[in-house]
Amino acid sequence: MSLCRVRSRLVVVAFAAVLVVALTGCTGAKSTSGGSGGAETYKVGAILSLTGSYAALGSSEKNALELEVKRINDAGGVNGKQIELIIEDDGTDEAKAVAAASKLINQDNVIVILGATGTGQSMAARSEIDRAGIPEISMAGGTAITSNFDPLVFQTPWANTLVVPYVLQKVAADGHKNIAVISDSGGYGKDGKAVIVAAAPKSGLQIVSDQTFNPGDTDFSAQLTKVKSSGADAIVLWTAGKEGASIVRGVSDLGVKMPMYGGSGQARSEFAQGAGPAAEGFIFGTGKSLVPTNWGADSEEFKIVDGFSERYEAAYGQTPDIFAGHAFDALTILEDALKRSGGDTNAKALTSAVEGTRGLVGFGGAFTFSPTDHNGLTAEDLALYQVTAGTWTPVK
Amino acid sequence: MALSDLLQFTIAGLKSGAIYALLALGFTIVFAATGAINFAQGEFFMLGGMIGVWLTRLGLPLPVAVLGAVALTAAIGAIFEVLAIRPIADGDPLRIIMVTIGGSVLLRQIALHVFGPDEVPLAAFSPGASIMVAGAAIERQTVWIWAITALAVGALFVLYRKTMFGRAMRATALRRDAARLVGVDTGMMVTVSFALAAGLGALAGLAVAPLTQTAFDVGAGIGVKGFAAAILGGLGNPVAAVGGGLVLGLLESMTAGYINPLYKDAVALVVLLGVLFVRPQGLFGGSGREKV
Repeated sequence: MSLCRVRSRLVVVAFAAVLVVALTGCTGAKSTSGGSGGAETYKVGAILSLTGSYAALGSSEKNALELEVKRINDAGGVNGKQIELIIEDDGTDEAKAVAAASKLINQDNVIVILGATGTGQSMAARSEIDRAGIPEISMAGGTAITSNFDPLVFQTPWANTLVVPYVLQKVAADGHKNIAVISDSGGYGKDGKAVIVAAAPKSGLQIVSDQTFNPGDTDFSAQLTKVKSSGADAIVLWTAGKEGASIVRGVSDLGVKMPMYGGSGQARSEFAQGAGPAAEGFIFGTGKSLVPTNWGADSEEFKIVDGFSERYEAAYGQTPDIFAGHAFDALTILEDALKRSGGDTNAKALTSAVEGTRGLVGFGGAFTFSPTDHNGLTAEDLALYQVTAGTWTPVK
Repeated sequence: MALSDLLQFTIAGLKSGAIYALLALGFTIVFAATGAINFAQGEFFMLGGMIGVWLTRLGLPLPVAVLGAVALTAAIGAIFEVLAIRPIADGDPLRIIMVTIGGSVLLRQIALHVFGPDEVPLAAFSPGASIMVAGAAIERQTVWIWAITALAVGALFVLYRKTMFGRAMRATALRRDAARLVGVDTGMMVTVSFALAAGLGALAGLAVAPLTQTAFDVGAGIGVKGFAAAILGGLGNPVAAVGGGLVLGLLESMTAGYINPLYKDAVALVVLLGVLFVRPQGLFGGSGREKV
């Protein structure tokens, strides 16, 4: 083979490689459920990550939304109208989230968008939301979603601004002074790290090692080697992706003997089981609802969370994770707002109805929105958990 | 930085590199037989891990599940070739490339529907604490990865160089028409090359799953890495493929260790482009005259 032929063949190959990268994830999934269409229904759009690195989160959210929309519709709908749910997959990709929002707004004429799954995707979709002037109820935990305030955007999870100081207090209370922070470069980790950097001094903590990784990375030896020699006494891990389990394994495998702390991203059985014995003793902070009895067995919170759990388990054969819970909340908030707006789906009326939410009990806790608070939860809704034997128990 | 850090980065690089090498071998084998790049190679990596986990959940012991997953993935590779590649076997490599791209999307979607979207863990081949060497840690699974890669390379060498079957494969790679004239079933050779490539991909996916877990969507990213390793080393030459994989792994690890972990993919690609510019035949590729 001459050099010239090698060259031309490589051009072909390079072209194909570009195509592969472009095609990766061009695998949109779509589904609709609920009413028969037309103006007699409330058209609700949802942007979820059903593929890509947040696929597990998005799938739980899809399960929850489909389950609860069906329940509401079977019970006669809201204000006598059926909800028509239109789900778009963003493939954990910001550009696709924008395209999905545009499609939902321009072609499907939805009255509201639930989502997206991820912080980056929720922020990216904002341009379309603002242009159309319809409300968005995000299920992502990034602080930017509500701290970078947009009058149209609401959020259901416990924001990093709530969870980070809560977890750092525990780190300090356990007697640690110097911490190593490991976070992903995607939306949730980047967002959380900024909050950690701002909140650490208030808890008397000093960040001695700051390590980042890209979503999709599989080897973390470089970061962990640096953590090991940094003189830190504890590791704070902030990520929502599947890399969390590999990092915790790596910590153990490389002989880094430091206690580890995290947030809502670790409230998944895939994390506790995937990391195996290495995750033993890992402490994370997230909502009380992860273990519904945290609320007290007679409380209204317990009944709502437990009722949702039972329906979810009956339908899908597994307990709902927190991401299913956040989607349940987004829909519950919408249902409540629609009732109070008297069925007025005008964007302004609907947005101010959502802002008028007062003490609405959902999975995340009791939501009270206002024109300036679009997160609606407090540290009262949080609890600490410890990983033991592939699952978690509340920290006393 | 301390010497033990350098050692640790080297270990990590050779670990990733061995995985890239197995994938690069798969690219090389199919390239030799068809002149085309099999972009479904990364999906075989994914299928190996996912099928392995599925078999252990059916209650099979780990060694049986691992071997079973390799065999099943190889069978899927062969079926894929017969159904999708053979109809265009005498056609243009570009068409074969397109079909493998389509096949990769199809395999990924099937895996999503069969196995679900969640990541799943595979048990370590031999659980236990890491082996400490001069302040650096070698995970037990890493030793397995190295052993499996060495074994696979050795077995391929024997297959290609010492058996009649291997000679037939090489003959097909060199001159398909001539091989057919002397009685080689060249269609069968292409099928076998896909099965071998799929099996190697599956082996890589199984070897690394205990460290990273696996999921339906891990194939595309690792496929690009394996492809880059094959190009870096020099396409069409198994020794070069292994060399390319190890160099790529070390390059990434050193970038992550001494520059910035966020740039490791980018630096690897820049070096790849640079090498292609200066040595289009790859780092270890010869004149390109002999393909296997």
